[in-house]
Amino acid sequence: MTPFGALIWAKQRIAVHTIASVRGESKLKVTLVSAAAVAMWFGLFRMSQLGFRLFETFFAEILGDAGLSFSDLVMSRLLASFAFALLVLLTFSNLLVSYATLYRSREMPYLVQSPVPVATLFLGRFVECVSFSSWASAFLGSPLLLAYGIETAAPWTFYPAVVLFFLPFVIIPAALGTAATLLLVRVVAGHRRRVLPALAALVAVAVALFILTPERVDPPNLADPSSLAGVVQAMGSSQHPLLPSQWLAGGVFAAATGDLAEAGFSLLLLASNAALLLWLATLLAERVFYPGWSDLLGADEQSGPKPSHGGIFSKLDGLTRWLPEPYRSLVAKDVRTFWREPTQWSQFLLLFGIMALYLANMRGDVAAIDRATWQAWGTLLNLAASMLILASLTSRFIYPLISLEGRRIWILGLAPLTMRQLVRQKYWFSVSTTAFFTLGLATLSSLRLDLDAFELAVSLGTVAATTFALSGLAVGLGALYPNFEEDNPSRVVSGLGGTLNFFLSMLYILVVTGLLAVVLLTARLGSISDGAHSALTAACFAVVLGLTLVATWLPLRLGMRHLETMEL
Amino acid sequence: MIETTQLHKRFGQKVAVESLDLDLATGEFFCFLGPNGAGKTTTIKMLTGLIRPTSGRARVGGVDVQQDPVAAKRLLGYVPDHPFLYDKLTGREMLRFVAGLYRMDVAEFHRRVDSMLETFELAQVADQLVEHYSHGMRQKLSFACCFLHQPKVVVVDEPWVGLDPKNIRAVKQFLRQRADEDGLTIFMSTHTLSIAEEVADRIGIIHRGRLLHVGTVEEIKALARRRQEHQLGGSLEDVFLELTRDEEAYGP
Repeated sequence: MTPFGALIWAKQRIAVHTIASVRGESKLKVTLVSAAAVAMWFGLFRMSQLGFRLFETFFAEILGDAGLSFSDLVMSRLLASFAFALLVLLTFSNLLVSYATLYRSREMPYLVQSPVPVATLFLGRFVECVSFSSWASAFLGSPLLLAYGIETAAPWTFYPAVVLFFLPFVIIPAALGTAATLLLVRVVAGHRRRVLPALAALVAVAVALFILTPERVDPPNLADPSSLAGVVQAMGSSQHPLLPSQWLAGGVFAAATGDLAEAGFSLLLLASNAALLLWLATLLAERVFYPGWSDLLGADEQSGPKPSHGGIFSKLDGLTRWLPEPYRSLVAKDVRTFWREPTQWSQFLLLFGIMALYLANMRGDVAAIDRATWQAWGTLLNLAASMLILASLTSRFIYPLISLEGRRIWILGLAPLTMRQLVRQKYWFSVSTTAFFTLGLATLSSLRLDLDAFELAVSLGTVAATTFALSGLAVGLGALYPNFEEDNPSRVVSGLGGTLNFFLSMLYILVVTGLLAVVLLTARLGSISDGAHSALTAACFAVVLGLTLVATWLPLRLGMRHLETMEL
Repeated sequence: MIETTQLHKRFGQKVAVESLDLDLATGEFFCFLGPNGAGKTTTIKMLTGLIRPTSGRARVGGVDVQQDPVAAKRLLGYVPDHPFLYDKLTGREMLRFVAGLYRMDVAEFHRRVDSMLETFELAQVADQLVEHYSHGMRQKLSFACCFLHQPKVVVVDEPWVGLDPKNIRAVKQFLRQRADEDGLTIFMSTHTLSIAEEVADRIGIIHRGRLLHVGTVEEIKALARRRQEHQLGGSLEDVFLELTRDEEAYGP
């Protein structure tokens, strides 16, 4: 067996044993998670199907007998926009995943000291990066593309073509992201103090320029078909012929329309560029991986003990002075360990950037839709978005908190501190930190939407309730399914408990959004009397409140009980 | 088999290892002693190719670790203080993985694997997942992984952690036997001075990155006796504590 074969074989055996270990898990848990995954996949499929039908109908009405079809005009652009977004997301995702995989995973010292050439080691780890960063794209993209194929009555060749296109496509952002990581580590590792501020300033300038000079596109006015031109043109900007996303979109579109020659050309274009980029990334790895690795280990040695005076963390003790012990020490420890782990705060900043983009793109009214309807829908969609961002925060950063106590949990186990207190601390830590962001986001976005008092109250009240509920779910399930063996929070999250937390959070958001839709849309669209609407509002909020109490109390109680009875 | 020439490592302003010169012969059992933070692990990391020296060179079996790392590492076996093992592989699968990394012939692997499992008393649990192993069993598996490809040089970093007295004796005897019978060169970093005293052909004492003394156990003890007017207690522990307490007074 070659070293590359050994690396892949080991991962394959690990996957087999991990899947087999599911047999040892609770049947209820496995059934629940599987059912939720299947439901989510079918939900996405159905939503995509309905979305494509809506587009078809909408554009058929607008275009009338202009001699153009929906597919001709919009579909290729829609696919290109989707592929471009995927390209950008996967590049960033690979940048982070490759740092963890190439430089921070526990097996790397063992692999680096073994007689494996750097290129082989890099390629073995690259396969892992691609799989780890791209599985979600396959899971979320497959229902969309299947719905597209069915709705456009694509020939059978479309389906295998999509699968064939996927692999070379995901290699391109993986090669780009990994190459960026290799270069960043090489440049930054040995000179952190000099390079990091310059890099941070560069990123800040880029973000400011991006936000301050947006290319605004007015939404189409339904009464004026000519307003579509701007939207269609803007969507076309993701169709630049040099973009790999366009090769994917163009190829898939060609396969859907039966143009196999064009599809084949796009596939070869993707595959050849993927191979070239992977080759270049491997050459780069051969040159810079080992020096970067060595400097990073050296930087870890240098970092040593920091002076206790000065710096941002010195203020932490003052800020938490009002908290009683042991909560104060636990909160200070959680904040410090979070900010000293680059993979944690870099992903947090990414999420924060998405929130900023979201806010920058909000507007108070749209010419095409009357103000009342826009505000009702705007409130509802804004709330759903705020809740989804909150779910991302709790699923990614809060759920792993207890697991990240890791092998050090015995310190807490021996301390005069009950597990109940530990869970309570994590819960209130979660509520206070996530509320700062989500209530801030909800307030700012409501102001941008120019909502009236009722809608503002509904927004803030719902976000506050959701903060309590999703924190309860994340902390409770984190305590119920702790993984003290894993140091990587991304891997903790991808376990069964993390998946269950994510799906239950989504379920909560779905139910609450549905109830809010009843409250907001019936009020704005004036379909019932004021009295009946008040009663309906009260009933809906009673259900939201009940649901919030259950989502908070039950997982926390189960989690506390589990930690109290488990052997540390 | 291990040769370092003016091997130097600096982390920023801190000198971790200062101009280290070592020359270990074939079949030599060398124990590297020093207090925490003395530079033992940094030296091991340079010998195993985990980090680059700031200057100087390290050779294993005549091969420069930086110039031809793959060839050098092929001659080397390494047991770290906290060995990495894949929890979701069985012991046998872990060994097969290691065989792949070292490009071992399949027939050779099958011939060696059972003897390794027997030697380290892992045959009964070879097909269980490593996650079910005790700490001692993990340590023994890491030894089996190290010796599977029949290295010419073995670097061992504090190998006794988690082993019971019976296993400590077994590992000690195994290492001594390999050095005597197979000509294996062993570079062992340890804090367990009594074991070093028992098994080492030569001992090196490092403190604050500088190699203070190299010699046989008797030479080190004699050196301390000569430099101090009064006689020490006689054990290596006494000598070690005295040398690393006040090394400025003695000098290398």
